[in-house]
Amino acid sequence: MAPEKIPNVAPAEDLACESPAQAASADPSGPDMTTSRRDFMKAGGMLSVSSLLGVGSLITMSEDANAAVEWAEHFQGNYRLMTQQEKAEARARLERRYSAEYGKRVVVDGTEAQEGVLMGYALNIRKCIGCRRCVKACVAENNQSRGPRPGESIEWIQVLRMERGGFAEEKMNHGYPEGLGIQVGGNAYTPAGQVLEGQYYYEPELVPEKDATYMPIACMQCEKPPCVKVCPVRTTYREPDGVVVIDYNWCIGCRMCMGACPYWARRLNVANPVLPKEEMNPVTHYLGNRPRMRGVVEKCHWCMQRSRQGRYPACVEVCPVGARKFGNLLDPESEVSLILARKNVFRLKAEMNTFPKFFYFYD
Amino acid sequence: MKRLVSKLLLLTVSCAGMINPGFAQDQAPATAPALEEVICFESRKGASEVTKIDLQPGWPNVKCSTKTGAVLWWGDPFDGTVPMGDMPLLPNVPGKVVVKPRSAKMNLLPMCGTACHNGVGPQFNPPTLPKDKKPKPIPTMEAMFPDAKNFQHGRGRIWCLDCHHTTQRSKFVDNFGDPISFDQPQLLCGKCHGDKLRDWRDGIHGKRIGEWASTGKKRWFVCTECHNPHNVQDGVRNKGFIQLEPETPPQLPRGMKDAKHELLHGVAH
Ligand code: HEC
Ligand code: HEC
Ligand code: HEC
Repeated sequence: MAPEKIPNVAPAEDLACESPAQAASADPSGPDMTTSRRDFMKAGGMLSVSSLLGVGSLITMSEDANAAVEWAEHFQGNYRLMTQQEKAEARARLERRYSAEYGKRVVVDGTEAQEGVLMGYALNIRKCIGCRRCVKACVAENNQSRGPRPGESIEWIQVLRMERGGFAEEKMNHGYPEGLGIQVGGNAYTPAGQVLEGQYYYEPELVPEKDATYMPIACMQCEKPPCVKVCPVRTTYREPDGVVVIDYNWCIGCRMCMGACPYWARRLNVANPVLPKEEMNPVTHYLGNRPRMRGVVEKCHWCMQRSRQGRYPACVEVCPVGARKFGNLLDPESEVSLILARKNVFRLKAEMNTFPKFFYFYD
Repeated sequence: MKRLVSKLLLLTVSCAGMINPGFAQDQAPATAPALEEVICFESRKGASEVTKIDLQPGWPNVKCSTKTGAVLWWGDPFDGTVPMGDMPLLPNVPGKVVVKPRSAKMNLLPMCGTACHNGVGPQFNPPTLPKDKKPKPIPTMEAMFPDAKNFQHGRGRIWCLDCHHTTQRSKFVDNFGDPISFDQPQLLCGKCHGDKLRDWRDGIHGKRIGEWASTGKKRWFVCTECHNPHNVQDGVRNKGFIQLEPETPPQLPRGMKDAKHELLHGVAH
């Protein structure tokens, strides 16, 4: 962003004196008040020692990760139903907690949708070379967990590698299904675009490979999002500018949305997220990239902390082939609108009537 | 039309000057730590390198991939850019456009027009200028500039002087024989690839970083930041974009020993 928007990344010590409200808002009965909806869902044994130590460490601005979870945070309402005042308080609470936890000045933005904007995305499927820079840029921007152990590594974008299909003379007389002796017609075709699970994990020396095409997928920001329909606590919803968001604090980790999503876009923090201090991105949005906790679901939100400030999402900027395009669908001059007007576009699984605002196109 | 363009240009110049005085790329802050320099590449390896610096403490100009050395994230998308300048073919671009000057990345360019091809100089009088544009061996160039040995653009139908100006070697040449700046390769490429120029102008081909609004300020990547003009046919797929090293794959799910399992063991049809 323009330099004036670069946050003043101050060491946390300076912050301690800035937050007099803090000790006051911590309830002295803290240690007993740690049961939240989320804890309710957990098998138990997950209450961290530090949150039991709660109050003491709060006052001293302890380094400990969970120490500063104020009880007010445990009992806050659904973000969408909060008053402006409550929203601001919720963000300020988080700013204090994150700043202490990550040792730098963390901003939790709450900028709302801009009128006249409906965000849209287009990806040139012909250009994608499968280099996964979008995947990594997304992680660098959005504070995903990046630990080495199972479940500690979360990526929102997946890049599918698909074999190119083709017809072969040797297969002219192959029966189908094979081996049963029933000739149901020739099957000289080797399927194109078949996706096996392992095909996310390709690791050649160089991309693009000769006989492969690549298809990145992430949240499609559907106009009729099935995940929103199924959420029992209504913590995931569509914002007025079209982005489907999650209030992580209200999420109970039930995974209904993960089952409902036809695009495999949602991830559950099964483990305690691992996010090193020096890698943490201090510019966050409440409904966007603020650090998440164990037991909540997360997904792509088109870099809300950037896009609401006018900046392109991180994956758009990083794509070395320029396959990723982003803009306002209501503005006929925007890049996405021009693509919709001029190119051949399709939406993934259009037959599901989810009406994604993420379009694939090709020249 | 001309007047409109120059007004736009003036606007871009003055705005860029106002907002962004202190962030010229080569201006490392005095407080830069004595750590080892991190150099990574933006788009084309070997032709778009940047040095990582802190714009403010804890706020780098770029974040780079430890595996591939590629830039993954820009702290300031306009770092090191200048206004795109006069674009006779693109009169109505709504937003503010900045680019990174290509001439800053050229090693030979500062010498081309002075050391050898000075067009009118005493030791290279006009008679030594090429008589036509046809391909011919150029051993001196090949030694300095290996790409000339294996020139792969246009499948044998174009050669150096279709792009480079005969007498002004630090310039390209347009269809009328007039010079084009090295910082505006789009005007050169556009003379043969008009369809791509049009898509590039509308933000469909190529890429932009910065503000997404159509009226916002954006850095446009110019053609040669992605394409090597002397070798566009390279790469296994012959599509004009060179192959790259990919980033690491995602973590395998618990229990999956290797990514090939399904491929090797087959799935039921
Ligand atoms: C398709 C147009 C085109 C053709 C044909 C072409 N060039 Fe170039 N050349 C360019 C462009 C564009 C650049 C600037 C590259 C950049 O911005 O990275 C360039 C740059 C150069 C440079 C400067 C490189 C440096 O690092 O300073 C040299 C030398 C050069 N060309 C030599 C040649 C020779 C010799 C030939 C003939 C074999 C040739 N070019 C043919 C377009 C062309
Ligand atoms: C003098 C005309 C001319 C100029 C100037 C020119 N090109 Fe080309 N270019 C060609 C021709 C001819 C081809 C070959 C098309 C073919 O047969 O595949 C080509 C092919 C290409 C291809 C590969 C297309 C493919 O599908 O393999 C790319 C990429 C490309 N040019 C980029 C550029 C860029 C970037 C520039 C500016 C630096 C440029 N060209 C300038 C004539 C030109
Ligand atoms: C962000 C990087 C980027 C920039 C900037 C860029 N291109 Fe390309 N260009 C690509 C990629 C990637 C492809 C390969 C597309 C494919 O595989 O089909 C390509 C393909 C092409 C082709 C081959 C045509 C085709 O459809 O295969 C031409 C010609 C071309 N570009 C010209 C240009 C010109 C002219 C410019 C500047 C006005 C430009 N490019 C700017 C990335 C870029």
